[in-house]
Amino acid sequence: MAELADILEQPFQTEFQKLQGRQEPAFIQTLRQSGVQRFTDLGLPHRRQEAWRFTDISAFTGHQYRLAQPVPLAADRLPVRSSADAIRLVFVNGHYSPSLSDDLSALPHGVTVTTLSAAATEQADVLTAALGQAPVVVGYPFSALNDALFTDGVVVHIAAGILMEHPLELVHCLDGQAVAAYPRNLIVLERGAQATIIEEHQGQGRYFTCPQTEVLLADAAVCRYHKLQQEAAEAWHLGSLRCYLGRDSQLSAHLVSAGGRLNRTEIMARLDGEGADCEFNGLSLVEDGQLADYHVCMEHAKPHGSSRQVFKSILNGKSRAVFDGLIKVVEQAQKTDASQTCRNLLLSRQALANANPRLEILADDVKCAHGATIGYLDPDALFYLRSRGISEAEAHSMLVFAFANEQLESLDLLGLRQRLEALLVERYYPSNL
Amino acid sequence: MLKIENLHVSVEDTEILKGIDLDIRPGEVHAIMGPNGSGKSTLASIIAGRDDYEVSAGSVQFLGEDLLDLDPEDRARMGLFLAFQYPVEIPGVNNLYFLKAALNAQRKARGEDELDAMEFWELVTDRMRRVQMDEAFLKRPVNEGFSGGEKKRNEILQMSVLEPRFAVLDETDSGLDIDALKTVADGVNAMRSPERGFLVITHYQRLLDYIVPDVVHVMMDGRIVRTGDKELAKALEAEGYALFRDNPEPAMAQHA
Repeated sequence: MAELADILEQPFQTEFQKLQGRQEPAFIQTLRQSGVQRFTDLGLPHRRQEAWRFTDISAFTGHQYRLAQPVPLAADRLPVRSSADAIRLVFVNGHYSPSLSDDLSALPHGVTVTTLSAAATEQADVLTAALGQAPVVVGYPFSALNDALFTDGVVVHIAAGILMEHPLELVHCLDGQAVAAYPRNLIVLERGAQATIIEEHQGQGRYFTCPQTEVLLADAAVCRYHKLQQEAAEAWHLGSLRCYLGRDSQLSAHLVSAGGRLNRTEIMARLDGEGADCEFNGLSLVEDGQLADYHVCMEHAKPHGSSRQVFKSILNGKSRAVFDGLIKVVEQAQKTDASQTCRNLLLSRQALANANPRLEILADDVKCAHGATIGYLDPDALFYLRSRGISEAEAHSMLVFAFANEQLESLDLLGLRQRLEALLVERYYPSNL
Repeated sequence: MLKIENLHVSVEDTEILKGIDLDIRPGEVHAIMGPNGSGKSTLASIIAGRDDYEVSAGSVQFLGEDLLDLDPEDRARMGLFLAFQYPVEIPGVNNLYFLKAALNAQRKARGEDELDAMEFWELVTDRMRRVQMDEAFLKRPVNEGFSGGEKKRNEILQMSVLEPRFAVLDETDSGLDIDALKTVADGVNAMRSPERGFLVITHYQRLLDYIVPDVVHVMMDGRIVRTGDKELAKALEAEGYALFRDNPEPAMAQHA
């Protein structure tokens, strides 16, 4: 048995060793080996690293989490559907649960939805061509860790010109103590294809989840993507979202973070075709003892691209929100139109928000705007409402609710929107229940 | 109904109001005119309940109650209304929702039944016609992206819906073209009644052609330096505030 010190120094090495001798296609083995190598090189982050200055994960010790095993889950633990016509796939502890998932046999022509494990044989060509091909989140060990250890997830492939009308809802549930899961989703939209994806994370217990999703949009593809994180109070969620946008493709993403002890999602989006359009709408609801962190790299690699980012946080109690957003415009990406806004609303004197907007612009004919605010509720707005007879508590609730609800206005999935509105009311507007 | 006696108010050790006396009875419209910096808007803010001022002496009574002890919402529930000089933009709060919440908060506090969505819709659309506002404004966030004139109309709409017993209009005419000014004045005039009082604060006489006051006060440097009828406003328009700057106080007393 290895010395304790060695294990501490090299977390996940025992998990990595178990990869030896697994019967998997060669390209998956290669991907895993590359993940092992990159994770081992990077190691667990610490606060002396610039990217982790405000996000303290020293309490996270990887070795105590063992790979989660499948467990039964009561159907009533699942969230209300994002949309009445959504097709749902459920993963419990990283393993596909056919009994909780919808029937996938009657999908429209041109739409293929399979689990990652099944895709290795059934969709080998898609997988070989696409898995791991989205732009890399550079320097992020948890993306490498997922590459090394990913278990299962969903592979969505929409053929050229096909419009997938039913939203696809990927639900990842965790349940257990000291367990870990490494979900992996791959979404491939061929030329002109359209799809709506909802990725949900929730759970119960004390666990670590390290999900990774790749979204690959060919020319003129349109994807509406949603990631909703409502992890258990003691959970660590260290996720990755990697997006590739081809010519004239559109990605609009809603990212909501409302649970977990510490959650960080690193996002890499590369606009790699002319006229690509990317929008990120983030909302973090951070309660006492929680930390929510979004790191975004929006890379404009071709001319005439446009991107908008609006990230908002509401911080309660002793909580923390971190936002780090880079807009990168390469030399040839002329006529880029990029904007980034980060707004933090502090509801307590103990809350702390860090916003770090960054621009790296090498082209000379571009429009880039960014702004960040951190503050308490606007006293003028509070007074205005109160001067009309609305009580101080009610005015307070109304303003906090409004601050958050603005992020949901562009959300057209009725079920998801109602659920999130209900969550906002419950947290910030109890008198309106 | 509104009685102010010897009111002294300061901000960060600078005295802004230096002994104001006002007595406004039901049915009366009083106007306060004065140059910028004379303390007009401070007076409006004090009446509405802003807490970033310090009252060092004097009293403000509304319907016999000490107003200075009350929170802004309690003042509103008693029937006090301030039309803001600079209405605040509130992103994310829908105008219709806001108006209904305000009216029902007031009705509830007075022990009246709250209006349901249908009843409120009928009321609000009726009042919108009065101030010639398009229904589309109800669906927009409060004042967000409204032009100056639209914001002022929205103030008058709120007043028409809330039907206060006493309203302070703080430079409601500023930034309005003549058509908008008439609309706003019509909205106010439609609400004049023997039970309701108004305090109209303005820089210019123009508004008072349309909202004809019973009493006009001239305010300079934190004091009311002259009180008269509507003719005083016209004299002021013709001769300017310099008249009062040059004249010492005793001379003014003769006119008053």
